[in-house]
Amino acid sequence: MAANVSIHYVSEKISKVRWVPEQLQESERFISGSWDMSKNFVRIWRLQSNQHQFGNTDASLDFTPRCNDKIAMQDEVNGLEFVDHNTLAVGCADGHLSLFNLQRAVEEDKLQFQARSERLHSLKRSDSSAPCTAIAAYGSDVATVGEDGVLNVLSANNLKQVKRSIDADSISLFAVTYVNQHELVTANRMGVLRMFDTRLSSEAQPKIAFMAACEDDKASNFVSAITVHPMQQHILMCGSEEGTVTVWDLRNLAYPASYLTAHNSPINDIRFHSKDPSKLFTAAEGGEVWLWSENKALNESNQKDGNSAWLSGERVRTLIDLGGVLTNTRKAINSFDVHGSRLVCGSDTEAVYIVDDIF
Amino acid sequence: MDDDIPAFELGDKLAMRCGNTLTGVFVPGSKIALSAFHPVKWNSQDVPTDSAGRDPVLIYMAEEASLSDEPLLRSLLAEANSTFATLQQMGHMKVVNSEYLKISLTYRSIIRAFLEKVELAKKSIDVQPSQIKRYNEAIMVFYAVECLWHLFEILYMEQQQHNQLVVQKLLQWARFHFPQTEDRATDLLLMADEASDCDDYWPILRTLLMFGEVDVTRAILCQSRKAREPAYQAAELILKSMPVYKEGYALQKFLSQWEFWHLDLERKLQANIFASEPELEWLLQLVCGNNEQWNAGIKTSQDWYEFLPGYLLYTKPACKPFELRIVATSWLNRWSQLKPDWQMSNMSRMVMQLMEHDIKVFIYDSQKLNDTHWFSTHLIDLVYQSGHLKSYFEQNSLDLPALRHSMIYEYGSYLMTSKNLWQFGVDYLDCCQKEGEAAIELLLPRIPLKTERQAFKIISLARQRGLLGVEQEICKVLSKRSTQEGRHGNALEWAIRSKDVILVTAIADFILQHYSNTGIMLCPDVLASFGARMFISPRLVFLAKYYEFYELYRKREFLSAADLLVNLLDSKITPDYFWPSLLIDAVPMLESKDPKIFSQETVAILRHLETELVPLIERNKRKTATFSNQSSKTVFKDFRVENIEEILNLMRLACARNLSRALIIEKTLSL
Repeated sequence: MAANVSIHYVSEKISKVRWVPEQLQESERFISGSWDMSKNFVRIWRLQSNQHQFGNTDASLDFTPRCNDKIAMQDEVNGLEFVDHNTLAVGCADGHLSLFNLQRAVEEDKLQFQARSERLHSLKRSDSSAPCTAIAAYGSDVATVGEDGVLNVLSANNLKQVKRSIDADSISLFAVTYVNQHELVTANRMGVLRMFDTRLSSEAQPKIAFMAACEDDKASNFVSAITVHPMQQHILMCGSEEGTVTVWDLRNLAYPASYLTAHNSPINDIRFHSKDPSKLFTAAEGGEVWLWSENKALNESNQKDGNSAWLSGERVRTLIDLGGVLTNTRKAINSFDVHGSRLVCGSDTEAVYIVDDIF
Repeated sequence: MDDDIPAFELGDKLAMRCGNTLTGVFVPGSKIALSAFHPVKWNSQDVPTDSAGRDPVLIYMAEEASLSDEPLLRSLLAEANSTFATLQQMGHMKVVNSEYLKISLTYRSIIRAFLEKVELAKKSIDVQPSQIKRYNEAIMVFYAVECLWHLFEILYMEQQQHNQLVVQKLLQWARFHFPQTEDRATDLLLMADEASDCDDYWPILRTLLMFGEVDVTRAILCQSRKAREPAYQAAELILKSMPVYKEGYALQKFLSQWEFWHLDLERKLQANIFASEPELEWLLQLVCGNNEQWNAGIKTSQDWYEFLPGYLLYTKPACKPFELRIVATSWLNRWSQLKPDWQMSNMSRMVMQLMEHDIKVFIYDSQKLNDTHWFSTHLIDLVYQSGHLKSYFEQNSLDLPALRHSMIYEYGSYLMTSKNLWQFGVDYLDCCQKEGEAAIELLLPRIPLKTERQAFKIISLARQRGLLGVEQEICKVLSKRSTQEGRHGNALEWAIRSKDVILVTAIADFILQHYSNTGIMLCPDVLASFGARMFISPRLVFLAKYYEFYELYRKREFLSAADLLVNLLDSKITPDYFWPSLLIDAVPMLESKDPKIFSQETVAILRHLETELVPLIERNKRKTATFSNQSSKTVFKDFRVENIEEILNLMRLACARNLSRALIIEKTLSL
């Protein structure tokens, strides 16, 4: 485990965390969203240097997060993404998408409500709202998916109007990500991934579907987290219920490019480092965060033929180093975010973990 | 004793009408459902009561107001939960005592952090009066908890490490829990030589000494304007030379030193060295342990144990825990004689129990604290794990493992049934062997399912513990829920997860019937991606295979489609109601311009037509004949019913035509 882990109990089950984007410096603010509480909140936290130094000079105790502002949500927070530097899109379990504005200040940052969409996800027969399960952002576009199997695309500039609504799946969707400006990949509870084009209507969608690999092909295996390589956008990674990672080359969907056994509990989040695409992180229900980093020396020769280490099938394990960033937290890590060398995790232990110097 | 049971009034009209009686039933989740009650006996007349229909029957849910609703308290529960888990892990590998002490310290620091947070919250701007009241309650409870835990730690956990001298530790404990004097002392120190002008200069110094703060007292006295006078100089010398026990000292040597010093002090006091400074003399009388001055001190104290450690310092500095018992009893007697109208609070009594080594009663009393048994559960667990007091429990024939088991079990069940604390509750129940497992099995499915994500969290917990039944139950519930919403694809997936063959078959049946009635295939995207999972139910295999045929047909890949169709016909898994659809599907392929079905397959189709469909129609006819009054409640609901004979004939003809055509081509080719 990395040396500098600090735990901060926040009295909330955290479903999502995101660093507030900063251009030039290491971010000192992060946003959290809670779930399964009698009242759920989106909060902005700020790292503050610790006033009580209890005589020990442990670097990890240098700062503690302090809640600067909070906004009460109608329901659980299931999606949290920044659309631009100060605008935050929040997907909520009541099937709505909200936009908040973040006002940075010297003393107390403020979160301000900006807009709320119409009900995006609903169950037709009982006319009740269906939870929005995940959101993804690209430029000013925000995509939402829900338990009703619908994929919606909205523009952050006008939440009142849904740009495109696609009946993507008959099964609940669990994850969504942008591949490029127009194409999206969704994942459902059965482990089926589908690709959609936002320029086409629901009927005209090409039927592109592929299954996440699974150890036991008779077992159910949902995909709960997907992400795309930040530089090579044809590389798609998905984390599944059985704890494995399946890598796809979107140019060749006939079979998965690599299949990596990893955690032994469902993977809740998977993300590349935003600045260093050779690093991948995965977080699991069992309470672990792992760091997968491409072995630079070994990859030299590989890079020449333009193949990514991730796509090398059986050989991936020799090209990628695996390490634990956070282990044995005993309860699910639901979400994490990395900015610079700092990682923040939200967990069902009702604590936020901040890991410094992850590399 | 504070046995005031909280009472509240319902004021239910109906109940007042029928003799003001209520009945109550326990509802899962520590709730009581109350409603009006009218006694009916065997000899009551069976007539409508007077109150019938006049007032609505109201059911009241009564729930114990607990602190766990307080968001701040959650951090306490969460942190304690993780410390608890660490302790359980330690139990498996034998560790040294200091590790257990560390755990004890962690628990206490959790409480202190919590108290700090609450104090902070009390001061925030947007706090409501009702919240302040709750905060104050929480502070009171957990302040007491911390105080008791601290004392417990000193008396029963640390003594095995140090050589059993408790006075210094007790002094620290007393100072921490009565911090006001220290604050004032700091003020005095900052005021330097002006301090002696304060009205409460001497009272504070006295209190400081009674807390054993000899060095601070000396520092303040040194700053006095009279510090150069001989009486002050002498006092300084006495206080400075007071022997203090340090780690690694020989106890006997220390005691003889202390005796010598004490005698010297007594002699000096008797010689009236300090007579010119009565206040200073008073201080030294305290240091000497003079009863008169201490009695005066007792009268100013807030609780009986406040100055006990200080008194011990000056009279019995080498006091050991087992001696404390006698000292504490006599001190308490002295105290209550001086303060006859004093009422002993719960906490004071518990402090006494600890000092008097009355753990049994202490544990009993600790369960009465309004902390949802947080304190007693964690403390008893710690005592059990660390193995301290083992002999005590044996002597008093207390079954510690059983006690711990029941405490943890109760606490875990409480967490499991209270709203959104289930993830913590599971950890506690995990320590309760069979009983805990059974409780988890019962309580997990009772957690209200809001989202599928949450359902998976519960399933994941169930899976870790091998509780297949729970997993299947949850999946079944969600499958039913999706069916009600008309989301058959979703329902089918949940049904497959539930491994309930009957449920899967029922949903597959519904989809097939819907197709044969309307020609619309429900949730095609799901049917296409079952993979090996379809083998759970033959009906699902049929559905998936039929869908495959349907797709091939749609894509105009007739050859493979025909192949699949014949396979399906041969497969023996076709449900009765689907035979007509399946056979009729063959017609266009039999009749198409270019031949698509070989002779053998054509024969197979014909055979199935005669051996499966015809008998089916016969059976049906008989049924409709016997129940002619019923509007043909059969598998043929659609238009095909009326023209069934015609369709049969058409099919026979089609088969014959294709057979002849196919035979000609095949024979030609083979030649």
